[in-house]
Formats: sequence, C-alpha cells, structure tokens
Amino acid sequence: MTTALLPAEGIRLGLTASDRFDAVRMSGEVLVEIGAVDPPYIEAMLERERGISTSLGEGFAIPHGTEDSRRHIRQTMLSFLQFPAGVAWDDDDVIVCVGIAAVGDEHVGVLANLARVLSVPEQAARLRSAERIEDVLALLGADAEAVT
Amino acid sequence: MTQIQGNDVHKLVVACEAGMGSSVLLVTQLRDRLKDTGVEVVHSPVSQIPEDADVIVSHRGLEATARSLAPGKVVVTFDMFLGDPAFDRVVGAIKDGTTLEG
Repeated sequence: MTTALLPAEGIRLGLTASDRFDAVRMSGEVLVEIGAVDPPYIEAMLERERGISTSLGEGFAIPHGTEDSRRHIRQTMLSFLQFPAGVAWDDDDVIVCVGIAAVGDEHVGVLANLARVLSVPEQAARLRSAERIEDVLALLGADAEAVT
Repeated sequence: MTQIQGNDVHKLVVACEAGMGSSVLLVTQLRDRLKDTGVEVVHSPVSQIPEDADVIVSHRGLEATARSLAPGKVVVTFDMFLGDPAFDRVVGAIKDGTTLEG
C-alpha cells in the first residue's frame, strides 16, 4: 500500500482554536480522520503537551504522542493545521501545528525539511501564511510518497 | 557534571521522550552543522539511548531521566528547540576540540 505521509486531506488551513490543548486535540482528530491513529492517541498527545511543550518557536508546534502510545498508531503520517490568528502557547503564539504519528523513521525527511524551513525566517513566514495546500506541500517537500 | 573533549566525541544522541518529534528535528539541524566533523548524530527515545553514545542532548525536562539511564555520560540540556545556546556550545566544543561539560 502506498500512502502520502502528509496527504492533502491532512492539511487544514484557516482554523481557530480556543487554546493550545484545543489545537492539539484538533491536530489529533485530523490524524484519526486520515487513518494514521486510533482515537486514544489524542489523549497521549495532550498528556505529552502537559509534560513538555512541543512549541518550537517561529510560530510552530509539533504535537505528538508518548512512547507508550505508539501502539495506537496505524501508520506513520503527519497533519498540518494552520491557525492564522495564533494560539497562545508558553511565551509564543503558535500559528502552525504539525501533528506527528510515527512508528518508524519514514517521516524524518519531511521533518528535516521543516527544520530547514524554520531556520530561514522568510520561508517560515511563507509556511505560516500559506493559503493553498499545494504551497504547504511544496515548502515541506512532502509531495513524495512513502511505502508502508 | 561530567566532561569530554570535543575530539573524543564520535556519537551524539539527541534524546526525547517518544523519539518521534523534536529529537528528529534537532538531529537534522545538528547533522547539518556537524557534517564536516565525522560525528554521527542520531535520535532516540530517552529510554533507548545507545550504549556507545558519547554525548546526549536532551530537553531540560528529561535531564534526570537521561542521567539515570545513561550514567556517567555527558548530558547537555536545552530549553528552546530553536536557537538555544546549548547547541552552539556542543558544536563549538566538537569543532574546536575543547572541553564539553554537562
């Protein structure tokens, strides 16, 4: 079976969230919808967020579950949720949540691209303000497909 | 606190809780910065730090766990995923062959 790591239906632009935990829950719900995880994974994502924040800076957070919750992952996939108005998160305002469900290392390439985008402020700004799903995929180089 | 000379660092392990998010991102950034040094940079859940790790980089919130699971190893902690001075300290010590404490 061939599945995109970050399928178009996993990219949701122009959302609003009431707070960071709402944003994490939404990131998890999209992972459920695209078939990446079973619902209990969402609670693990919230647990992880209560422990150590997944806010990275530059307006990005990468909510994901705990090691113990890997059993709820069906396949390695990512979600991308954009909150243009920002979500208060520690000392930062998070605009983009990249939800992660990973059993192996298939997603390393996409996260590596994210790391590189974040190290170039203009690119990070373009990703934060992306208005089209294709732009998100192009910036993250996520149009490649992964074999699972 | 333990210490190691930058020249003696062959394997650097970035440890996070699940080993699927932040550590993966940091590995990319450190690997880019250390690419000419021959140092191997890998990520791992904190519960599975490889035996042959010379230096462990972890979030401050995982420091106690990392130290108890990898006794005697240098553990460098950070607070921020982007731009924390701890990363400059690690890269600087490896490139300059100076002493790294942690």
